[in-house]
This record gives sequence, C-alpha cells and structure tokens, in this order.
Amino acid sequence: MIDLRELILDKDKLYPLLRKLKKEARLIAPVKNDHGDTLFTTIEDIDTTRIDLENQPQESLKPFFLPQQETVASYSVLNGEYTFTPPEPAQDTIFFGVRSCDLTALLYMDLIFSKPAKDATYYDRRNHSLVITLGCNQPFDNCFCEATSSGPYLEYGYGLQFIDLGDCYYVSAGRGRGADLLEKWGYFFREVTKKDQNRRYQLFLEARGQFTKNIQVTHACQKLQKETVAEEIWEKLSQRCYDCGGCAYVCPTCTCFSVDDMPQGRSNGIRIRSWDACTSSGFTRMTGGHNPIDRTRHALKRRFLHKLKYDFANHGKASCTGCGRCVDICFGGVDITTFIDLFTGQETP
Amino acid sequence: MTNSIGELVGADVLLITGSNTTETHPQIGRNILQAVDRGAKLIVIDPRKTDIARQAHIHLALRPGTDIALINAMMRVILDEDLADDLFISMRTENFIALRDYLHRLDLSELAKITGIDQATIHEAACIYARSSKSVICYCLGVTQHTCGTNNVQAVANLAMLTGNVEKKHSGVDPLRGQNNVQGACDMAALPAVLPGYQNLADMEIRSRFEAVWKCSIPATTGKSLTEMTHNGKDGAIKAMFIMGENPALSDPHLGRVKETLNTLEFLAVSDIFLTETAQLADVVFPAASFAEKGGTITNSERRVQICRRAIAPIHNCRPDSHIIMELGKRINCPGMEFDNDAEIMEEISLLTPIYGGMHYDRLAENHGLQWPCPYRNHPGTEFLHKYYFARGKGCFTITEHQEPFEKTENKYPFTLVTGRGSYHHYHTATMTRNSRRLVRECPQALLEINSEDCDNLKLRDGETVELRSRRGAVQIPIQITDRVKPGTVFSSFHFFEVPINELTVDAMDPQSKCPELKVCSVNLRKVAHD
Repeated sequence: MIDLRELILDKDKLYPLLRKLKKEARLIAPVKNDHGDTLFTTIEDIDTTRIDLENQPQESLKPFFLPQQETVASYSVLNGEYTFTPPEPAQDTIFFGVRSCDLTALLYMDLIFSKPAKDATYYDRRNHSLVITLGCNQPFDNCFCEATSSGPYLEYGYGLQFIDLGDCYYVSAGRGRGADLLEKWGYFFREVTKKDQNRRYQLFLEARGQFTKNIQVTHACQKLQKETVAEEIWEKLSQRCYDCGGCAYVCPTCTCFSVDDMPQGRSNGIRIRSWDACTSSGFTRMTGGHNPIDRTRHALKRRFLHKLKYDFANHGKASCTGCGRCVDICFGGVDITTFIDLFTGQETP
Repeated sequence: MTNSIGELVGADVLLITGSNTTETHPQIGRNILQAVDRGAKLIVIDPRKTDIARQAHIHLALRPGTDIALINAMMRVILDEDLADDLFISMRTENFIALRDYLHRLDLSELAKITGIDQATIHEAACIYARSSKSVICYCLGVTQHTCGTNNVQAVANLAMLTGNVEKKHSGVDPLRGQNNVQGACDMAALPAVLPGYQNLADMEIRSRFEAVWKCSIPATTGKSLTEMTHNGKDGAIKAMFIMGENPALSDPHLGRVKETLNTLEFLAVSDIFLTETAQLADVVFPAASFAEKGGTITNSERRVQICRRAIAPIHNCRPDSHIIMELGKRINCPGMEFDNDAEIMEEISLLTPIYGGMHYDRLAENHGLQWPCPYRNHPGTEFLHKYYFARGKGCFTITEHQEPFEKTENKYPFTLVTGRGSYHHYHTATMTRNSRRLVRECPQALLEINSEDCDNLKLRDGETVELRSRRGAVQIPIQITDRVKPGTVFSSFHFFEVPINELTVDAMDPQSKCPELKVCSVNLRKVAHD
C-alpha cells in the first residue's frame, strides 16, 4: 500500500488534476489579469486561464471568508411580524496556490470566529472550503514569514501543500479532505523517492536564507510582555498614520467589522457587516463625541499591541503572518515592521 | 510637475509651499516622507501647522498672502550668501540683472516683518534650499488661490532658476494637481485661451488644423474663465450653461453671486453622478457614470497618461460623459461625434496634440502609461521637463513685488479666514465621499479651526457653535481649538453644504489666471446664543 500522505505530481499533470477538482467544487486560484494585477479569481475556463504561481496575490483569502461587505441577514415585516432570512448558503470551494502566510492567517481567523459562538456565515464558508497551498521557494520583497513562523513551508493546516521541485510538485496531504483527494485522484501521482525528499529539504533551507527583511518579531513579542513602549515611538508612528485603513484592509488577520442595519423600504431591510479598522478615530469615538484614544499620539497602539502583545500572550503566537502587504500599502511608512524595528532598537526614533 | 513623482524620493531638499501634501496628496506625501527618512531636509511654507509642517525641519508659518515677500527675502539671502548658480543663470536665463538690482533694494527686516517670520529662520531655510543641487519645490493651491497667484508662481520659478534647481533629475518646480485628471482637462484645453496641448488659439494655422478635423469654424476669441462664468450675474452675457462634474454652487467663492447667476440663467443642464447642490438648480440633469463604470484615460500630476478601464457596467440609466457629449453633439448636428470607442478618441487626440502625439492605446497599456511630451510613436515619454531649454527658450526672471490680499483685516472683521480641503476623508464638495458611511463617520461635520488664544479672548469653548461673518455672508459652525492655526487666523473646509463656507469668501481674482482668492478673506465671529 502506498503512503498517501506524500506524493509527487509531475507538472504536466497539474492542469488535468485541476480540471477534475473543478468538477467537484468552485476552483479559485491566483490569476494575473489584463492590467497586470494578480488576484484570487474563480476559474471559469481552465483551458484559457493561466494560473499565476510566480507573483504574490494582492489580496489574502480574507475577502472570501469575511467579505469587505456582506449581508448577514435580511428581514421583512408583515402585519407587525418580522421574518428573518439568512444569507445564501456557501458553495463548495477549493483554493489553489495559496501562500503559507495566508493559510496561517485563515487558521487564526478560525480561532477568532469560533468564540464565544461559532460565527455562522464564516464557518459556513470555512466548512465548505479546502485550501491547497504552495510553499514559497523565493520570498517576495516585503515578506518575513520566517520571523512569524508562518512559512515559507507549512507543517500543518493545509488540505494539500505543494512544493515546487522544478519539474514536479512535492505534495503533502493534511487532515481529512486533503488525503481523500490524494486517494481519489491517486493515478495522477507517483511515489516520493529519497532524491525528491532531499531536494525538498534543500529547497526549504535555501528559501529560509533568502529573506531580504530581518524583522525581530519574536523578540518584539517577548519584549512587549515585560516592557512598555516608549511614548515617543507611539507619537512618531501616529504622526504618520493618515487613517486610510489600508493596513487593516489588506491584513489577512485583521477581522474587525462594523454592523449596520439598513432599511430598504418601509417593510424590509438588511443587516450588513463591513470591514472596519481600529486605526480609525470613529472606531472608538463615543456617541457624545468623547474619544478614549487620542489619535495624534496613539493611532497605531491598539493595532500593534493586539497583534504582537496580546495575541502572543493568549495564543503563543503573534497574529502577524509576515505577508508584507501592509509594508506595501502604508502611505506613511509606519507599518508593523517600522514599529518592530523601532521597538527592538534596530532604529532609534 | 516638471519632475516625476518618483524623483522626489531622491531629492536632498524638499520645499513644500501652500500644500497640505500628506492629507491631500497622500501618494506624493509618501514619496516626500521617504526622502526625509533617507536624510533629506524638509522645509514647509504654510500659515497652518499641518501634519507635514509638524514633520518639517523648518516650518515657515507665514501670514496668509505674503508668499512673495518670503520668497524675495529668501532670494536676497541667497544673493548675500553668494549661493546663486551663476553658470545656470548665464546659460539658461535672462533678465537676471533687473531681478538682482531689485532684490538689492529690498530691506530684509522689512520683508521678515511682512511675513511674520523671524529673519534668522528665513536665512536658514534659504541657505538649506540653495546649498543643495537636488532641491525640489512642490506647491499647491495655497500659492495659486490668491489675487497675486500668478506672481506667487513666478516668485517660486525665480527661486528655482536663481539656484539652478530645475532642468535635472531630483530638482524642479512641481505644482501638485488637485483632481485625478485636472492635468488631463487642462491638456485637452478645458481652458479659455488654448487649444489641446496648450496650442495658441490665436494662431490661424493651428486653428485651421483643428477645423479640418472638427469640420467647423473655431472662434479665435478667448473664452471666459470659470469664476467669470459663475459670477456672470443676472444681467450677464451668458444665458445657458452645461456643467459637468463640477459643483460651483458649493465650491466657488462668494456663493451669493454664483447662485444669482445660476438661478437667472435661461437654461442650466448639469451632468453628475449624484444630485449635487448645482444639479438641484438645473433644468435638465444627466446621470453620469462613475469612474468604475467607464473607460478612458487619466493624466496625473507628473503628466502621466494612464488608461482607466471599466470595472462594472453603468448602473441603470447612467452614461459615460463621452457618451453624453457625443449624443448632445449629434442632436445639435455637430459633425465628428461618431467615435466607436475610447481608443478612437485617443487617436484623434494624438493626431491634433503634439505632446500626446505618440500616445496610442496599445502603448499606454504598457508601463502604466506615458508621460508627455511624447511626440511620436516610439518616443519613451519625458521623465522631467526643461532639460537643455525652457518652453520659451531662456527662462525669464520677472520681478515680483509683495501685494497685500484683496481684503484686509480691520476692527469690524478682525480675523483672516483661510479655506481649503480639511480632511483626509472628504474630497472637495464631498459629493462622493459623503455617500460613504465610513468616511462620514470619520469626519461627520464641518469645524472651524481656531487658536486657543483667540478662544480665551472671546470666551469660547471647544465645540461651541459660532456665527462666522464676512462682508458677503454668514454661516454657523462649531469650533475646534487647535494650534494648527496661529492667533488671528481661522480655517475651515468647503466640504459641507450645511456650512457653505464660500458664502463668505471673496471673488476677487488674479488678473492673469483668474483664480479667485479663496485663501484669504476677513471675517468676524461671535458665539451663537443658545435657546
């Protein structure tokens, strides 16, 4: 009996395999569009779509599980009686070509949306999803997943993990449905040889040495448990935060949202939830106008302390996955890496 | 901009004047901050202590409307310290002797007194700017929205030429454009005196080139500027108007006169994506498509023409602006309005506009567009302007003299009101941004910035509503006590229709550019009694 946990898929078998998977579920993978942007896209026609496994997708998986705006319920009133309609049920979906950092973020979101009660729409989508990751042999410019223990390869959490060995993929199966897939479509695969295993380890070692950013995430997390951050660091960062919310929106682990009830007429309406950001002043402003957070000094305090101090204390791990998207998007250059550098003393304010 | 935006990162000195860059041009602000992180020196000229002024090495908080006095003082210091670029002056400029003699006649302490900045600070700023060969000047509406706006810009140009800080990478004079495509609108001659590509309307040969394509005759007379049109008055020559994507009933100065004009027109048609204050006065409203519902090109501050692609189909009966214009054209029997798509329109632009000569759609799709001048198909576009020579040949120094703003403060109106964009979250008359719940939450109401010293004298508390009055009108507005403004100066935005601040502003204009003096008018304020 062959070991189903690890197999080799030759590259010319990739599209035939994906074609089969697409019959079972909606298939979403990174695709470079006409404007040069790589985005997770639903594959409609596998013969004409080229999946882009070279570039980092601009968005994480977050929008597929927690959309920027979604209707969580709609209601109608008839003779004073309210009827609530839940949203459409989720569709079976297979995500292919997901990077390690983005899956790690999804595992974190699982935690957030499970307490105190499981979030219905999130878990509906999550239970209907299977994630196939692609280990990173070459980190992107702003990445630092090695420092956040969320890459470049993963140990757990995936349905399947693909590692590019050049002419083939080294495929590892995770729990449950991933292993089922390998069993069902076993005839596409061949067995792992000792040479393949050595090549995989070699690539892993090489990948870890290729990060251009050296961010002391764990050191910062540990230091935060014992020390407070100097006020001038918060002030320096806040001065340059323009409240655009970009960092929170691109962040794969930022899950803050706001809920609004929107009447759609006299007898019906919807309840929507949409992304929010703790860096916004309206996020903490009271109805009477008082704001417990002074934005001019502490705009970014909650963001960084939540990710690096409290999550580290509560879950043993920072809720930053080192994907580097906030580094790219910040107008003021005051992303999480700037904070960590300032706080750990790699740069003085 | 004479530079490209990316060049700002490599500059060694950045002189920002009349621009709240980080709030109003965040992408450019980002480049400036990166330069500062690299070690560049940042000098900000602004009456207000804006976010970028707080981060400046030197903040020159001048009295509103005294830009020329300040720049003249800086130039005088540069002469005194022998920091002028003699080679550049002799090779590339003319009329320097006249400027030099004029500057030598000026009294530095007198100029310092006019601006309200001490002489030593001006001296330091001038030396920092002049000692670097990679100095950039960025300016915005704080320079141009004055009755002496054209001279303000000339003064800035004099300063750059005096030190040779133009014509090369990382140095130049950069006006930051206030709308995504205002550069494109100007390039396409949404200006009264030129044809597309800034070609002279008075030149018969150029006119005939356009007439051959447009199959009509083009009047050689210069048209009217925006403020002249909206201040036409009830007995003015203009009887009908078609306004597209502009909201003068909130954005133009001295709103009383604007409304009088619009209300007494025989016919007003407005095209916009929402029913603006102006559209509410119209006889006919065209529902226009938003940026996401149409294609075309957008030209940004660095003269880069970029393709904007349609993301979604127009909702309901909305139509792209080009469609509205073409259909109107056909109905009034205007020939040459039969374009199949945006690429065909661009082909006509390339044909008639030399600076856009090589900008065909297939080329624009590469490399995020091209920067004009791009005169022919294989031309790579132009990164920075004025290499080897200026547009007119040699750069001409023109003497600029300080001139007081149109309206002076006096006993009855002791405060100077400065207006501008007041928040990162709202854009101009907030036609679009106030339709976003999140942006409204972040910036829900208009506030009047006022210094704590003035509040002590007037016995005002933070958040209290005051009546703000000028010779032309009055509004009620809550105050925000802040050190962003100096005593004697108050500031508010023009985002909110409930507080139409332009009821108060003056319609006095710069004689050349016709740009109104939105940055300075005199007001008084008093507490509104509670019921």
